Amino acid sequence: MNNTLNLSSGPHIRDRWTTPFIMGCVLLALLPTAVVGVVVNGLHALWVILVCMLACFLTELLFDKLCHRPNTFLDGSALVTGLLLALCLSPTVPLYIPIIGGIFAILVVKCCFGGLGKNFINPALAARCFLLISFGNTMTKFPTVDGVTSATPVAELLSGKAVDVTRMFLGTTNGVIGSSVLAMLVGGLLLWAFDIIHGEICFSVLIGFTVFMGLFGGQGFDPAYLAANICGGGVVMAAFFMATDYVTSPVSRLGQLTYGLLIGILGGLLRVFGASADSFSYCVIIGNLFTPLIDTYVVPKPYAFRKREIEMRAGTRQPFRIPKPVIALTVITLLAGLALSGAYTVTKPNIDAQKEAARAEAYRIVIPEAEEFEFLTKEVEALGGGTYGTSFGKVKINEAVVGKTADGSIAGYAVSVTSSEGYEGDITLSLGVKPDGTVNGITYTELNETPGKGSLCGEPAFMDQFSGRNVDKFILLKDGGASQETEIDGVSGATWSSKASVNAVNAGLDFLSQIRGE
Amino acid sequence: MKVTFRGGVHPDDKKGLSRDAQLRIFDPEGDLIFPLSQHIGKPARAIVKKNDPVLVGQCIAEPDGFVSAGIYCSCSGTVKAVEKRRTLSGAMADCIVVENDHEYRPVEGLGKRLETNGLTSEEILSRIKNAGIVGLGGAGFPTHVKLAPKDPSAIRFVIANGAECEPYLTCNDQLMRQNADGIVEGLEITLRLFPNAKGVICIEKNKPEAIEAMQKAIAGKDRLEVLPLKTKYPQGGEHSLIKVVAGVDYPIANLPADVGCVVCNVGTLYAVGRAVQWNEPLFTHVLTVSGEAVKNPGNFIVRDGTSFSELLNACGGLKDNVVLKKALTGGPMMGFALSTLDVPVQKTSNGLTLFTEDGSEKAEKEMTACLRCGRCTTVCPTGLMPQMMASAVEFGEYDRYENKLHGLECVACGSCSYICPAKRPLTETFKAAKAEIMARKRAAQAGGKK
Repeated sequence: MNNTLNLSSGPHIRDRWTTPFIMGCVLLALLPTAVVGVVVNGLHALWVILVCMLACFLTELLFDKLCHRPNTFLDGSALVTGLLLALCLSPTVPLYIPIIGGIFAILVVKCCFGGLGKNFINPALAARCFLLISFGNTMTKFPTVDGVTSATPVAELLSGKAVDVTRMFLGTTNGVIGSSVLAMLVGGLLLWAFDIIHGEICFSVLIGFTVFMGLFGGQGFDPAYLAANICGGGVVMAAFFMATDYVTSPVSRLGQLTYGLLIGILGGLLRVFGASADSFSYCVIIGNLFTPLIDTYVVPKPYAFRKREIEMRAGTRQPFRIPKPVIALTVITLLAGLALSGAYTVTKPNIDAQKEAARAEAYRIVIPEAEEFEFLTKEVEALGGGTYGTSFGKVKINEAVVGKTADGSIAGYAVSVTSSEGYEGDITLSLGVKPDGTVNGITYTELNETPGKGSLCGEPAFMDQFSGRNVDKFILLKDGGASQETEIDGVSGATWSSKASVNAVNAGLDFLSQIRGE
Repeated sequence: MKVTFRGGVHPDDKKGLSRDAQLRIFDPEGDLIFPLSQHIGKPARAIVKKNDPVLVGQCIAEPDGFVSAGIYCSCSGTVKAVEKRRTLSGAMADCIVVENDHEYRPVEGLGKRLETNGLTSEEILSRIKNAGIVGLGGAGFPTHVKLAPKDPSAIRFVIANGAECEPYLTCNDQLMRQNADGIVEGLEITLRLFPNAKGVICIEKNKPEAIEAMQKAIAGKDRLEVLPLKTKYPQGGEHSLIKVVAGVDYPIANLPADVGCVVCNVGTLYAVGRAVQWNEPLFTHVLTVSGEAVKNPGNFIVRDGTSFSELLNACGGLKDNVVLKKALTGGPMMGFALSTLDVPVQKTSNGLTLFTEDGSEKAEKEMTACLRCGRCTTVCPTGLMPQMMASAVEFGEYDRYENKLHGLECVACGSCSYICPAKRPLTETFKAAKAEIMARKRAAQAGGKK
């Protein structure tokens, strides 16, 4: 029977897509990011990428040969791992770093666990974390364009500094090779459009992270703040290329959503409360570790077993209605919101009038000779509303006035200053000076310090020390014993409150000296 | 009504090879071989013996029991033997071998128009039963059983399946284009059994001529409707059609009748019309011979028992300079591979597809480890998780396979294997797992009885 035909079970035709094809698509999608990385960071970045990919490829090849396993090195997955790892490295790393990383990723994380499809965490990320721990200094050294090392944008973001979102988006800041958000978005969205990565994962990561940052980041849903956070710290890389790794992400749609949200929220958590700029790598790895659990328990039922279908077959399916409690809650919430905003609108003029009266009263105290006050709105606005100066701590100039007598001559100046460094929060005081700069006096409009300690700042014993002196800057002696004109005795046991008060006064004096100089 | 179901794949339909080839009657040269088991249920019982003369349309084997179907001779001649012969499953099975005298003398009354007015349901069903009709879509379930559900008045839809979603197959397309009235006749007779049902003729949109022909044929008949469907495999599966027409999914343990539907292939309905109205039992049906290896692909009205190799010759044989690598009865998605072409055509054979390249062999070479990419879960028309099912089988977790993953719901449509980029043999695994679970259950039952 030499003319017997081949037998096999159906289907007898297969789709054209193969594993190497998918890996090739991922490589292509990463190409823009790699190109931008090389163009921005110079030729060394190219060497890092090539060495890393080669290290991964050769490791798998050698492992296959030495362990007599089927040849899997041609499926392209090692190259993807290598490229992903390289894109997460600083462009200046010495070339032994990508070699060690590549070997670790393929040998330890992938091959030792059974090769393609068996690794329990993303090999590229595992290798990156391994390198971060082992070669901390080298790994976190990032050059700026002029060759000076400095912190990455996300590190600056973590320490509360302002960052240039546009440059982060384009990838022209200092950072890892693959830091161009634009290029990653192009590649990632193409992969999604061609159905290679799951939208359920990448978008739930981004949404989870954004919502968390909006709610708990402390700056609300400020687009600039959120954009800066999304563009920094490898969030986009993680969402589109790391978390979506097939092998280490759940298979079911619901599982993928769960997994994506988990990573996004964890990422937000570590971004807000953590100190590491690399927290997102750890988040994805933690997500990877949850994958087997999710896959075991999140299993969607076949269509025929879903509640909706069972009800439809039984004819008991009700058209969808919004549950009554939801309607009731929505209505109550809306009404309460309307009532509150209504009350606020109605009482706002009153509240404002009272606040203004309190301030006017304060100005009258510190410039007793004045009959009317003229607000120095323009000068205060020119400060931009941020922290005033650099040597007064966290202080802010709220308002400044010129006090005039009945005949129109200047009786003095007053300024309202807030220091946020009181022991119990903000301290706001008004400071009045004569036209020649001599202090008339100070009075507090906001002083919530500890009774018996910080609150003693509001007593004449402390406040009157400033009156009648004409100095550029007061110096606080927290242990008492002031003898010079510039020295102020602090309130005993209330260093913070005293210091904040003196800082506020100094800031006010500094500001008013500029006004008087004009 | 929805126009498609969830999931599914889009293989290249390759219908261009044969779609415009008109149906032609093929008269075989050699002996005709009639296996006694061509349907689901008990094999038929031969009622002829060696050297008996037979005529076209003569009953040569009787149904043995309720779920069984008779077999009718497709030529005139002499019974040569009743013996074991190789059939298309590759195994040897009991067959009636008839030597063809090429005269095609009919039995008396064959093709005579019968009175159908005033027939009761029982009379219609008995005419269908006495014509040996089985589902021609592939499964071969006896039609008189399918059309006799417990409560005929609960049936809301009689679905005429003209989807023909298998790539390469075009014979039903041609049947609808050339014999639309005959199909409608059969459908109307079937509808008489179900007073509250509507007849829905489902055709994929890649057959515009068939849709047009059927629409013309149902003009003025208000119980009938033509429903063009999205071209997508497995659109012609029972579950997919019912999802589209009735809007429900149902477990594999239920029958279509449980959700108020009866699904019949258009070829079956045509046969019902011929049997009930024209006194013609089932001994011919339509069949496509196609594939890259065939010189002139074509559509045939083929006599049961014809050898597949003769059909290939009728198409001009293989193309020059090609080697036949694979032969399938039916289409490439759910068809069965043949080890040799020297086996007879059965009632359920609707295609002969011949390839110069073995897709399964190629897939085996390209196979990698499962990537867990999840493509299989998005294409599964049943909503299963093939990736998880395969790994459950791999680890021998049959309990999880059956109860958590509902693996026995698999209809073996092959979509998951088709789409898998790692070329894993998923469908094959699930067929094997089903057999294994069934065997374990039987063993447990047998053990329990002791």
